[in-house]
Amino acid sequence: MGYFKDRNCYMKDYNLSFLDKIRNFNYLYLFLVSLVVFIGIGVLYSVGSSTSSPWQWASRQSMRFVLSLVILLLISLTNLRLWMKYAYWIYGMALLLLIGVEVLGRVHMGAQRWLNLGFFQLQPSEVMKIALVLALAKYFHGASLEQIRSVKFMIPPVLMMGIPVLLILKQPDLGTAMMLVFMSFGVFFLVGVQIWKFVVLALMGIGSFPIIWSLLHEYQKKRVLTFLNPESDPLGAGYHISQSKITLGSGGFWGKGFMQGTQTRLNFIPEKQTDFIFTVFAEEFGFLGSLILFGIYTLIIGYGFVISARCQNFFGKVLAAGLTINFALYLFINSGMVMGLMPVVGVPLPLMSYGGTAMITLFISFGLMECVDINREMVIGRLGSIDDE
Amino acid sequence: MSVWKYEKTHTIQKRLMALSGVFLCVVFVLLARLFFLQILQGEKFLLLAEKNRISLRLTPPERGRIYDRNGIVLAENKKTFQAVLVKEESPDFEKTLDLFARLVPLSDEEKERIIKEVKRKRAFMPVRVKDNLTPKEVVLIQLNAPDLQGIQIEEGLIRTYPQHEIETHTAGYVSLFLDSDTKDKDDPLLNLPGYRIGRSGVEKAKEEVLRGAPGSKKTEVNAAGRSVRLLEKNKSIPGQDLTLTVDNRLQKYALDLFEDNSGAAILMDVKTGELRTLVSAPSFDANLFLAPISTKDWNKLSSNKKNPMQNKALYGTYSPGSIFKLVVSLAGLENNIISANTTINCDGYTQLGEQRFHCWKRQGHGKLNLIQALEHSCDVYFYEVSQKIGAEKILEMAHKLGFGEVTGIDLENEKSGFVPSFEWKKKRFNDAWRMGDTLNLSIGQGFLTATPLQIVRAVAAIANGGYLVQPHVIEKKNYPQGLPLFNPKNLSVVRQGMFDVVNKEGATAYGSRFNINGMKMAGKTATTQVRRISAEERKKGLKDQKLIPWEHRDHALFAGFAPTNNPKYAVVVVVEHGIGGARSAAPIASKLLKKALELDIEDKEEK
Repeated sequence: MGYFKDRNCYMKDYNLSFLDKIRNFNYLYLFLVSLVVFIGIGVLYSVGSSTSSPWQWASRQSMRFVLSLVILLLISLTNLRLWMKYAYWIYGMALLLLIGVEVLGRVHMGAQRWLNLGFFQLQPSEVMKIALVLALAKYFHGASLEQIRSVKFMIPPVLMMGIPVLLILKQPDLGTAMMLVFMSFGVFFLVGVQIWKFVVLALMGIGSFPIIWSLLHEYQKKRVLTFLNPESDPLGAGYHISQSKITLGSGGFWGKGFMQGTQTRLNFIPEKQTDFIFTVFAEEFGFLGSLILFGIYTLIIGYGFVISARCQNFFGKVLAAGLTINFALYLFINSGMVMGLMPVVGVPLPLMSYGGTAMITLFISFGLMECVDINREMVIGRLGSIDDE
Repeated sequence: MSVWKYEKTHTIQKRLMALSGVFLCVVFVLLARLFFLQILQGEKFLLLAEKNRISLRLTPPERGRIYDRNGIVLAENKKTFQAVLVKEESPDFEKTLDLFARLVPLSDEEKERIIKEVKRKRAFMPVRVKDNLTPKEVVLIQLNAPDLQGIQIEEGLIRTYPQHEIETHTAGYVSLFLDSDTKDKDDPLLNLPGYRIGRSGVEKAKEEVLRGAPGSKKTEVNAAGRSVRLLEKNKSIPGQDLTLTVDNRLQKYALDLFEDNSGAAILMDVKTGELRTLVSAPSFDANLFLAPISTKDWNKLSSNKKNPMQNKALYGTYSPGSIFKLVVSLAGLENNIISANTTINCDGYTQLGEQRFHCWKRQGHGKLNLIQALEHSCDVYFYEVSQKIGAEKILEMAHKLGFGEVTGIDLENEKSGFVPSFEWKKKRFNDAWRMGDTLNLSIGQGFLTATPLQIVRAVAAIANGGYLVQPHVIEKKNYPQGLPLFNPKNLSVVRQGMFDVVNKEGATAYGSRFNINGMKMAGKTATTQVRRISAEERKKGLKDQKLIPWEHRDHALFAGFAPTNNPKYAVVVVVEHGIGGARSAAPIASKLLKKALELDIEDKEEK
C-alpha cells in the first residue's frame, strides 16, 4: 500500500548522516553569499581609508563574518524538523523581545530599536524577520489549499504579521515594518491565496492612505515629501538623496577606482558605511561593477527560489521562499532608496552594510536555507512527525 | 502523495515561477535606473561631484597705483592689519566681540553686521571685524589675545590717498563693494570680504585696468567645507599703474585759490588736450570712504550746499554768458557776415518790438568795432550782429566748437550741456524760435548751457589754430591732431579781442594781467544770472550783489589762454555765485596760468 511505501521513504530521509549532510551542503550558494561579504569588506576598507583608522569597519566586519559563518554551519547541520517543532516558540520569543524593546529599549537616534544585552545590542525586529517566516511556514505546512483560500483561516497569519508590524511601526522603523508586510504577502501569495484578495487589499490600502499618512511621524512625512522632490531642499532634508544620486551618477561606466571615490572620501555621503554603502561601491566601480554586483545578488535570490522549488516538504519550501523574499526586499528597498526611487527608510544593503545584527540574522537565515537544502528530500507529516497523517 | 499536499505543491511551484519573474523585473528596473544615473546622466553628476569637491579661493590682486605727471603718488596701497573673527575658535563669539569693542571702538551697526555675517558663514570662515587697524590697536589686541579667542590679525593691503582732498575729483576714490551694487554682482573677487571698488574719478573710469586679475587657490574640501589639500595655486596679477596728466602742485594751488568758494578750474594743454589741472571746489578727503563712512561725516558731506561730492568741472552745467560772444564772433567772421571793422553804436539797449534788451553798461559804450566790443563785453554789439548772423549759424558754430555733446574725457559722469534748436523750442514750448531768443543766445544766456570742460576746449580751439582736442587726464602717447576748422585770420581777430580784454587799460579783466618774460594772458570774462532779474528789480536799480543771498548771486566765469604769442595752456574758471567774472574768476585763472608757466620755467631750469 502506498501508505507504507511513503512511510519507508521518509524513514530513510530521517536518518541523514553527518557525511550525507556534508555531501548535500550547497557550496555554491555559500560561495556566492561570501563573495558579496568580501566585496563589502573591501568597500568598508575603502571607506575607512579616508579616516585615521582605515580598518575600523573592515576588520570588525570580517570578525562578524567569521562568527556568522560558524553560526551558518551550525544551523545548516540541525534537523529541519526541530525548526518546525519550535517555530511558534521562536516567534513567541521574538514577539516578547519586541515588547521588551518597548519597555526596556533604549532610545537610539530617536528610534527604539536596540535591546542592550551588555556585550551585544540585539535588534528584535531583525529576529522577527526570521521568526515570522518560521511561524508562517509552520502554519501553512499543514493546511490544505481549500483552507488557505478561506478568509477565516487567514486571520491567524495576518495577526502573526500584524502584531509585530504595529510594534515595529511604533519604534518607529518604517523600513522593517514594510519588509515584514511585503514578505508576509509574498508568502501568502506563494501558498495560494487568491490574487483577487491582494487586489482588494491594495485598493483598500490606497483608500486608507490618508489615515496612514496622519499616523506617520513628522520626520517620516518629511522624508516622503523630500523623496518626491529632493531638489526643493538640497541642503536640508533632501541632502541625502541629492548627494546619493550625485555619488552614484559620478561613478559613470568604469567608476573612479578603488579608494578614489571623492564623494564618499570627502564625507558628502552620510552613513556611507551602513545604509549608503552601495553609493560608495557604485562611485568607485561604476556601472560595470554595479552590474556584476547585481548579477551576484540576482543569482543568490534565484538560487533561493531553486532551493524552495526543489524541496520536497512544504515547510521547507515556504521557509526558503520566505527567507529569499526577505533577502530580496533588503536589496530592493536599499538600492531603490539610494537611487532615489524610494524614500529613505533606513534599510541596510544585505551582506555589505556595516552592522552586527543584520549580518548575523542574515547568516542565520542562510543557515536555515542550507538546512532546507540539505534536507530537501525529507518528508514532514502534517503535524511535523513522521506518521501524523 | 496525499491530496492536501499535491494541490498546494502544484500552486507553490507555479507561483514561485511567477514571483521570480516579478523579482527579475524589479532587478531590471533598478539596473535601468542605474544606467540612467551613471551612463545617461553620468557627466552631469560628475560635474556636480567636482563642484562639491573643489573650492576656489581667490586672492585679491594689488590695485594699480595712480601718479601725477611728475610721479607724485596720488593713490597707493599700504599694508594694513585687519582683525577677523573665526567662530569655531571662540567659545562665545558674541562675548569675544564685546571684549574686542572695549579695546577698539565698534559702532552698533558694525557689530550687528559682524554677528549676522558670522552666523551666516561656516564656523571656520574668517569674518572681517575691523580693518585699517592702527599700530596701537594691533598691539592692544595682541596684548589681550588670551581674552580674545577667535580674533585673528591678518595682513592685507588697503588703498590710501596721500593727497587727501586735492585729487579727489581726478584720481577719485574707492569704497567697499556692497550688496546693493548691481554691476558684476556675482564676481567672486568683488565679494571677498573687504573688497573695494572705484566710485569716482579715474578709480571708477579705469576700474578694470587698475583692478588686475585675482590669483586663486584651488583646494579640495570635504563636506564640512574644510580644506583637505591644496590642488593648484595661481598668483594674482597686479593692476596696471596709471600716470595722470595733472600736476599735483597746480592742483593744490588751484584748490587753495578757491578758498571758501565753490566752483571749478581746468587748465588744459591747448595742443594735446592734457589736463594739467582739474579741480572742483570744495573737495573732500578721498580717504573718507575707505572705511564705511560715519553717519556724521556723510551728513556733513551730503548736506553741504556747495556740493563737494560733485565734480563741477564735468558735471556742472552753466550758461557760458559773455564767453559765448567768442562763438558769435567766430560765427559772424567765418560766414563773412561781419569783420573786425564792423562798427555798432551802443546806446545801452537794443529795442526789439516792445522789448528792450539792455547792455550791462546802462549808459552805453558808444561806437565799437568787434575787437572793442569783445574788450568791453558790450552786449548791444552782439544783439545787433546776431540779428544779422542769425541763430542758425550761431548754433551751428556752437556745435562745431563742441558744445552740446560730451567731450569724451576719460572720466565718468561727464555732462553734455545743451545747445537748443528750433525744433526743440517748438516741441518744448510749442513756440517758434524768436528773435529775442537769438539775442539772449548772443550773450550766452537763455537755453544754452555748457560744462567748464566744453568751454575750455572751445577756447583751446581758438588758441591752438582751430582744432578740437580730446581732453584727457590719463597720460597718452599719441594725440590725434584734429584738422583746423577755422580761418586763421578770423581766429586771430578773436584772439586779439581776448588779448585786449586782459591787457588793455580799462578792459574788463585788466586787473588780472601778468607778464612773465613777455608771456601774457588773453581771455574773456562772463557773469551769468542765476535768477532772472524782474522788471521791478530793474526799476529799483540792481541791488548790490553782496546783499542778496549767496545762492541767488551771479556765477562768475573766466576762460582764457597763455602765452598769447604762442598759446600753450587754455584755462577756465567758474566761481559759483562769485558775483562777477572779472572780480572773482579772472584772478584765479590768471594766478593759475601764471603758476603753470612759472613751474614750466622752473622745471626746465632744473633739467
